[in-house]
Amino acid sequence: MPDEQLDPVIHAQARLRVVATLASLGTHDRISFPRLQKLLDMTAGNLSTHLRRLEEADYVTITKTHEGRTPATYVELTLAGRLAFERYTQTLRSLLGGTS
Amino acid sequence: MATDPPDEAPDPADALAIIAAQRALAEDTRPSSTWIFALWGTAWLLGYGAMWLTASDDRRPSLLAVVVAIGLGLVAVVLTIVHVLRRTHGIAGAGARQGALYGWAWPIGFVAQSLIVGGLGRAGASDEVTGLAANAIAALVVGLLYIAGGLLWDDTGMYVVGGWMALVGAAAALTGLPASYLVMALAGGGGMLALGLVTRIRSRA
Repeated sequence: MPDEQLDPVIHAQARLRVVATLASLGTHDRISFPRLQKLLDMTAGNLSTHLRRLEEADYVTITKTHEGRTPATYVELTLAGRLAFERYTQTLRSLLGGTS
Repeated sequence: MATDPPDEAPDPADALAIIAAQRALAEDTRPSSTWIFALWGTAWLLGYGAMWLTASDDRRPSLLAVVVAIGLGLVAVVLTIVHVLRRTHGIAGAGARQGALYGWAWPIGFVAQSLIVGGLGRAGASDEVTGLAANAIAALVVGLLYIAGGLLWDDTGMYVVGGWMALVGAAAALTGLPASYLVMALAGGGGMLALGLVTRIRSRA
């Protein structure tokens, strides 16, 4: 029980919110940066910082494309990110269930 | 970056609550089936209801009722498209593309339905034949699209309602006019409203 570690990349208020939101999208679905920002109600700078951290851990992929002439950034949870989130929620549940 | 709030680690119970809250927020990126069922249920109930109410004497609904019914149908199409586009704005990928293709199948189905009905009229079909065919084909389009949606999103409830709508439309053709309009209003429109209520209760449970 005590040696169950919560993934430190996910286990921080803001990044947990980012990952939980991305995990609610369909597998292989991407969300645009502005839409994600609106869903999370975070500043662009703050969100970018956390996304960079998640990208370094290979939990998200960030794609930069162009829609017409305007640049667009899309964020997607990787398979590794999805699995890490699964494991994280399982650990949470066992921590809560196993409190004595 | 300089003014980022400190990012403390939540305790496990809070973390689960955060996850649940974000899941609920992310529902906003998907079209609401409750909303769509309520919209179409209302349009059918009022549109077909108006045609039935004015068609009791000579089997032909009043012009006003027909205009109201067509107007309600058009409003429902526009509101559905606006709703889906607004909800899925900024979402891309395989699932999103699947949803968009599914969405476009609706106007395709209804354009085909109106062409068939127009063709029957030009070929000399009576008002009653045209009316019965228009109802039954509309119900078939809606029914089969719900069935497709049920397959796509693994939603048995949606599949069952699709089957119900298709069969109601077919049965309505057997009742003749004007009873056909009543069947479409109550069984069709009422059925969609009931399903909207069921999905609403289920999503809250």
